[in-house]
Amino acid sequence: MRTTLVLFFVWFLGHSQLSLAQADEEIEREIEIKAIAGLKYDLTRIKVKPGERIKLTLTNADEMDHNLVITKPGARLQVVDASNKLRENGPRLNYVKASDKVLWSVRIVTPGQSAYVIFQAPTKEDVYPYVCTFPGHGLVMYGAMYVTTKDLPPLEKDLNVPRATATDVGMEHHHAVADLHPYKTTPPYLYRIFMPDAGPAAIAVSLPKQLSYCWDAGTCRLRYAWQGEFLDPKKYFDKKAEKYAQIMGTIFYRDKTSYPLKFSVDKNPVVDFKGYKLIERYPEFHYTIDGKDVYELIKPKEDGSGLIRSFKVPEATQPLYFDFDNSDGATYTTSKGNINGDQIKLTAEDAHAFVIVMTKKQTAK
Amino acid sequence: MRQISALMILAVLVTSCGKESKYPDAKSAYIVETIETPSGLNAETGGIAFLPDGRLVACFLRGEVMIYDPEAKLWKLFAEGLHEPLGVLPISESEILVMQKPELTRLKDTDGDGQADLYETVTDDFGMAGNYHEWTYGPVKDHDGNLFISFNTASEWGIIMDEVRGRLDTILVPFKPKQKFSAVPYRGWVAKVTPSGEFIPYAYGFRSPSGLLITPDNQLFVVDNQGDWVGTSTLFSVQQNKFYGHPASMIWVPGWKRGDPSKLPLEQLNAERQRAVVQFPYGIMAASPTQPVLDNTDGAFGPFAGQILEEIKGVWQGACIPFIDKQGLHKGNNRLAFSPDGSLYVGQVQHGFIGDTGIQRIVFTGKVPVDIYSMNITDEGFDLHFTQAMDEATLRDTSNYHFRHYYYEYHLKYGSDQFDVQKVGVKDIAVRDGGKTVSLKLENLKPGYIYELTMGELKSEDGEVLTNRLVCYTVNVLRSGRKDTPPLAY
Repeated sequence: MRTTLVLFFVWFLGHSQLSLAQADEEIEREIEIKAIAGLKYDLTRIKVKPGERIKLTLTNADEMDHNLVITKPGARLQVVDASNKLRENGPRLNYVKASDKVLWSVRIVTPGQSAYVIFQAPTKEDVYPYVCTFPGHGLVMYGAMYVTTKDLPPLEKDLNVPRATATDVGMEHHHAVADLHPYKTTPPYLYRIFMPDAGPAAIAVSLPKQLSYCWDAGTCRLRYAWQGEFLDPKKYFDKKAEKYAQIMGTIFYRDKTSYPLKFSVDKNPVVDFKGYKLIERYPEFHYTIDGKDVYELIKPKEDGSGLIRSFKVPEATQPLYFDFDNSDGATYTTSKGNINGDQIKLTAEDAHAFVIVMTKKQTAK
Repeated sequence: MRQISALMILAVLVTSCGKESKYPDAKSAYIVETIETPSGLNAETGGIAFLPDGRLVACFLRGEVMIYDPEAKLWKLFAEGLHEPLGVLPISESEILVMQKPELTRLKDTDGDGQADLYETVTDDFGMAGNYHEWTYGPVKDHDGNLFISFNTASEWGIIMDEVRGRLDTILVPFKPKQKFSAVPYRGWVAKVTPSGEFIPYAYGFRSPSGLLITPDNQLFVVDNQGDWVGTSTLFSVQQNKFYGHPASMIWVPGWKRGDPSKLPLEQLNAERQRAVVQFPYGIMAASPTQPVLDNTDGAFGPFAGQILEEIKGVWQGACIPFIDKQGLHKGNNRLAFSPDGSLYVGQVQHGFIGDTGIQRIVFTGKVPVDIYSMNITDEGFDLHFTQAMDEATLRDTSNYHFRHYYYEYHLKYGSDQFDVQKVGVKDIAVRDGGKTVSLKLENLKPGYIYELTMGELKSEDGEVLTNRLVCYTVNVLRSGRKDTPPLAY
């Protein structure tokens, strides 16, 4: 054990002296590799000429620590395995166990930082793996340095790069919801998911007739509706679930009021989300405005030209107002009450159960 | 949410063992079986639990709640469309609580068709900045019917949405230096929800409290994960209104007027925080511990039911020991639940980090393992209890015990180095209980340190080598009551 440690220090010193002594002027090529989210390098392979002097910079664009170790051909897993055995000595040694399998390395780089190594590429043409040896990363976070003057094999058939990279290449076009669940998704159905232009507690609902809408469980209101395909949730599902789901249609309606439903003309109510009940798989939202229960069920119009919103406010004891905005993309009819400009006024009795139909405005072209 | 490399079982019940084995010829004490999950399912497991009728209920990060019949080996969909559910607690076959990102939800099958049709919000009285790192965990239920849930802090590498839920307080933004933050209420808190639905912010100072547990004596334990302000991952015993070390959440203490809590003098924060019951040495024991479970199987899961943690002078402390490492067990072990048959189901997750997907189960074969049963502090060292009588000669051999002590530090910087790493010699060995216990007296024993013991090839009387030879004891207090720890010892 003692011997290995001593050897390592000698190796490391020698290595850094080399970098200092043979400075930037001789560099023939600079390469930057970024560590990115999902335990990946942004470049999963690089090509250099035999004997070329390289300055290789590792920039950490992820939120975990990463290093980059270039190994002898075929030695990636051995190097990773040896690094894993460093245990508590790992941090001090930049998670690199010195051996003849390790050619060069860029030390551990913390998020947002960069470090580099200068080296002369081997003269022997071969594939030299590079890998992050931070504990747990080495099995998936790697790439291949091709020392060659020839063309590289097609990326999707390259067994020297992580498999995910190979598949990603063929997956660049959009997929709607398909094969994401152990069942077939048939409208109506919903996702609670991060949606653009809504609060973080958003609900996206797919309706029949190529209609969809976004309902916000934080603010208890319909935010917008669109026509076309539903969502591509893959951006959200991938990795850490930090991206918005992607709308796969054209938004035709956006609520532009400060809040649509109120008991007082000039004051927005206090709202509270209570959940939803699935009625023939359509969600009927339950929330309160100023403490009074509201039930809202949204269905598509038979001809697909808009939404039918059925409201129930069974405990209403005073008039209820429903505000909209002429420029919100819809025209309105109501089963009860009167439309006055941008407002529908309902009596308390009307409010117990009423239906508002929103039809997509024909766009003048 | 990252992987755990070793599975931790905190056993507190004392029971006897002795059930007939289904695996009479087994060579190992435990086997790991993989449960087949339906095709098309991305089996990133957010929560698992057993229904009263013995079926397994599991929730997955793409929003499905599914029920598995272990007899028929069949999966059925119970609910869908949930937002990153990370915890599940069944009330009955038709009523299941699920913790999803925006709320704690009660799923009910009101029409008896086997699928939930009512998704009731139990509580959403906590904020969301729309940051990916704002995971929610729980619920666990105490003996009085209260539910406990916990809220992850937000990541400085994630976003704050233009619209947030809850009051936005950006005193910690921009976050320089980088650290996890709490921009909306109760990020970094554990909350209690009473049977009447009242939401009570309960305790604060957590970074990533991904596992909760109620013990048989109705105490709440919470796991936190190594990172900024968390020197190494921990298990806390949690009491109301107390502070557990990560400052971000302090701004939601009622009447907070002390500004950016991360700028408070370190000594002050240090004096206000509660210490961990157990520290899991980073990279040695585990990287990211997840859920604590209690072995309440009456021996059906083997000999480990019993005490590992102990309370000395009113202070909890104890040891952690790897249980199953590899042996077919995948990475990213996120959620655990004991089946009525005594096997331990484990659900895995990766979610952009290192891990796996799927569900496995660990089954006791009936062959009693040669392993550490417990480690208890004594006046001058530790007693190690084994699951079987051990060979006296190897027990008495000093060269079989390599003790080190060290401590991690409480500070903003991500993680912590080990400080004051010293070998600790064994000055006396006594074998007791016919070889089932060895008492080790050490050259020193100091509060505030982790005592890490790596053992040589200790053998049982039958010549079988000890399975797990690493054990780490967190010394908070000595039996004498001494607790003068190094000033910033985590």
